[in-house]
Amino acid sequence: MATERFEEEMLALLPRLRRFARSLTRDQADADDLSQLSVERALKAREQWQPGTRLDAWMYRIMRNIWIDEARARARRAQTFAPEEEGLSVGDDGHEAIERNVEMNDVDRAMAKLPDEQREVIALVLVEGLAYKEAAEILEIPMGTLTSRLVRGRQALVQMLEAA
Amino acid sequence: MIEDELLIAYADGECSVSDQLKVEQALRDDPELRARLEQHRRLAARLNAFYAPAAEPPVPDRLTALLRKQEADVIDFAAAREKRTTRLPGWGQWGAIAASLAVGVLAGQLALAPRGAVVESHEGRLIARGDLAKALDTQLASAQPGDAHVRIGVSFQDQAGAYCRSFDTVNLAGIGCRKGGEWQLPVTHSASDAAANGGYRQAASGDALVMQAATAMMKGAPFDPETERQARDKGWR
Repeated sequence: MATERFEEEMLALLPRLRRFARSLTRDQADADDLSQLSVERALKAREQWQPGTRLDAWMYRIMRNIWIDEARARARRAQTFAPEEEGLSVGDDGHEAIERNVEMNDVDRAMAKLPDEQREVIALVLVEGLAYKEAAEILEIPMGTLTSRLVRGRQALVQMLEAA
Repeated sequence: MIEDELLIAYADGECSVSDQLKVEQALRDDPELRARLEQHRRLAARLNAFYAPAAEPPVPDRLTALLRKQEADVIDFAAAREKRTTRLPGWGQWGAIAASLAVGVLAGQLALAPRGAVVESHEGRLIARGDLAKALDTQLASAQPGDAHVRIGVSFQDQAGAYCRSFDTVNLAGIGCRKGGEWQLPVTHSASDAAANGGYRQAASGDALVMQAATAMMKGAPFDPETERQARDKGWR
């Protein structure tokens, strides 16, 4: 893939990348930071991109891996600085903090309550519209694992959102 | 008894033909199952609607700037593609020999490629132009010319009552909605993934995305040919 072509295709992908980032992070500012980091990393690692394979899948994978690292780092910071009884926990804001945040939309709140591994499956399949097989490849998990996470995530979201 | 896993695979278009028939059979006889299916469809529609704005323009400059070092004046990828293709006919200056060598290759490309810019960015919104706008205005899904550059998929009304139509070209698939006398493009999906694989659309996932978006946007059912024709004859108003 020629240089110009690579950049052009990345430009075309940006809207979808921002949307995936938004569903992973549940926050637009975080989403744009994550998008920027992902594009920068992709530009640095472009030699590893294999022409003929899908650029979107490659980008989703880069983005998701950066977000996992960031979520872990945030979890460590939260453990270091915040007493546990305040309910600030790992990666997501913790259920009590989520309940307190009345500004949050129902969808954000429900997505925040999902375990990370279910949220990323929901984001890839339901929001990004990927086939199960494509999503499983991006997440490097077997199909059975993907479908069971998807089913559990969907059931939980239906329950939370239909009750609201 | 249809388990959630199978019902969800059905809702996501991921089950085998035999499973599909099994689910459809069960749906006919079981209102409770239909209600569960509706729950999952509502969920998909709600998530799509909720996250759609995150994929809408404008993309922050700090993101596009990372990728736009060489072509600062390019408005969007469609314009970028247009720029490149309009350079191609420059072979005229090489004279007849080069032209006759090139014609086989170019004929294939030019026959397929829509003429003129088909997408324009205006105040942060993508608008259909040229052949794409014309096809959205006039072309009926039930009577498409065999050599049409743009293929029309489904036509429907969105929740706000605007007329929308899904479309597909060599480079781009998406949905156009008639608003303010123009075809705005709330959903676009580039065929970029296919280009790397020998230049033709790898249709499945792009089309699936567009269809999923259409399903989420739709109020009621897609138009039948008669309704489509009537809507066109009234100018999509």
